[in-house]
Amino acid sequence: MGNVIEIENLAKAFGNEHALTNVNFHVKKGEIFGFLGPSGAGKTTTIKILTGQMSYTRGSVQVFGEDVMQLKKSKNRKRFGVLTDNSGLYDKLSVEDNLLFYCELYDVPTKKVDEVLDVVQLREEKKKRVAKLSKGMRQRVTLARTLLHEPALLFLDEPTSALDPVNTQFIYKGLRELNERGTTIFLTTHNMEEADSLCDRIAFLHDGEIQLLDTPDALKKQFAKDEMDIELKNGNRITLSKGKKDAQILYNYMKKEEIVTIHSNEPTIGDIFVYVTGRELV
Amino acid sequence: MNISMKRVKAIFMKDYKEFSRNMSISIVILMTPLLSLFYGKVGENTIDSYYFIFNMTFVMVATYVQSCLIAEEREKNTLRALILSPANVQEILLGKSLFTFSTTFFTMMVCIILIDYRPANISIITVAMLLSTLFYIALGTFIGLFAKSVMEASVYSFPAIGIFTVGTFIRLFSEQYPMLKIAHYLPNIQLIDIALKVEAGKGFVNVLPELGVILLWSIVAMIVTVIVYKKRMVD
Repeated sequence: MGNVIEIENLAKAFGNEHALTNVNFHVKKGEIFGFLGPSGAGKTTTIKILTGQMSYTRGSVQVFGEDVMQLKKSKNRKRFGVLTDNSGLYDKLSVEDNLLFYCELYDVPTKKVDEVLDVVQLREEKKKRVAKLSKGMRQRVTLARTLLHEPALLFLDEPTSALDPVNTQFIYKGLRELNERGTTIFLTTHNMEEADSLCDRIAFLHDGEIQLLDTPDALKKQFAKDEMDIELKNGNRITLSKGKKDAQILYNYMKKEEIVTIHSNEPTIGDIFVYVTGRELV
Repeated sequence: MNISMKRVKAIFMKDYKEFSRNMSISIVILMTPLLSLFYGKVGENTIDSYYFIFNMTFVMVATYVQSCLIAEEREKNTLRALILSPANVQEILLGKSLFTFSTTFFTMMVCIILIDYRPANISIITVAMLLSTLFYIALGTFIGLFAKSVMEASVYSFPAIGIFTVGTFIRLFSEQYPMLKIAHYLPNIQLIDIALKVEAGKGFVNVLPELGVILLWSIVAMIVTVIVYKKRMVD
């Protein structure tokens, strides 16, 4: 499986302020890659660099095996899409007109409009003006717009921020469908549950560098505590070691059928985030 | 330089649909035809009064409307989406300018008919007006790219509206204040000079210097606009 994105020793400075100091990672073809970090860590800066919207100070950035600046070529623009929380839709136009406009720009047959509206379940709203839609619906229209040209690589910058759970689920469904059809997804989010449930691998960006990078399961195992919580029938809760030391105690409780629940106490991605960055999620 | 006319047309049609649903901006194009109707009824117009209307049409339609269309794209973050699409800089600027060009052309024709302006040499005036349209559209694009919102674009357009409409009368004071002679090189005043020469029976060769000055203004405005656009593309 080849790499869609390859970043080596990437640095970006704004005057004397260093947003990224030494970023190294790669994103494999077909994976959903989570890019997490506290506010101001440089996530959006990285996306802007990866989409050719921002220059960088030092390092090497390759997308689809070419220098990132090649993305400015019209044919390469068709290969990626960007979805942010700031939708960028034409308010005065209908949902359908917005999508038809992008069909023309991306050279996509107009019949795709109904197809993508079915995915985000907004077909009945297609004649409505975008200005009349809720924030969640607008975000679904933006996702539909992104689905039109089925990009090989999709950048998502906080795609579900401030969305209600129903609209969030619609977005997840659309993203999973897109990923199943082969789209590589690069996701930045503050929502740790989102990262955990969607991503194949997660990178933590902090202090201008990648601090951790692995699959969610591997990260949880790496940070797992050597203890488990046990709830007993008499209402007591005890903590035992996962090792040999407490095996006999556990066995005895099990033998007497006194155990109600056992919790392995593995950390969440949010716990790991706080541990790595030393900052609470905002 | 590859230009897809399909994408240019798509941007043109999108702008048309948006414009037709935007009363606050579209009402601006009615201003100069209404003024022309009034001037036309009064009769006995001079070149100065004709060109006061025409220059106002240029600055109100080609510049102001264009600046608002571009600024709105910036304000709503749709310009960013457009920049990230396969449409290149030429297609985006051409598509957006084509709509303003058509609107300016249409409004100007209505004004010319209503005010009953019949130039002695229609070819020269057509060329001069086409060159002027390019300048005013480029100026509007520049203002739109510079402004962060429609409100800002409206504010930034005011000096242009002043200079290219009322400012035309500066030349009347240039005998008194020689410093103002520099204003003669403004494209709006060059356009009036062309019209005066045409009415005096002069031909193409005689108006080449004025056409050259307007062309120069257009080229400079277009170059500056493309530079600003490219800067806006990359943070």
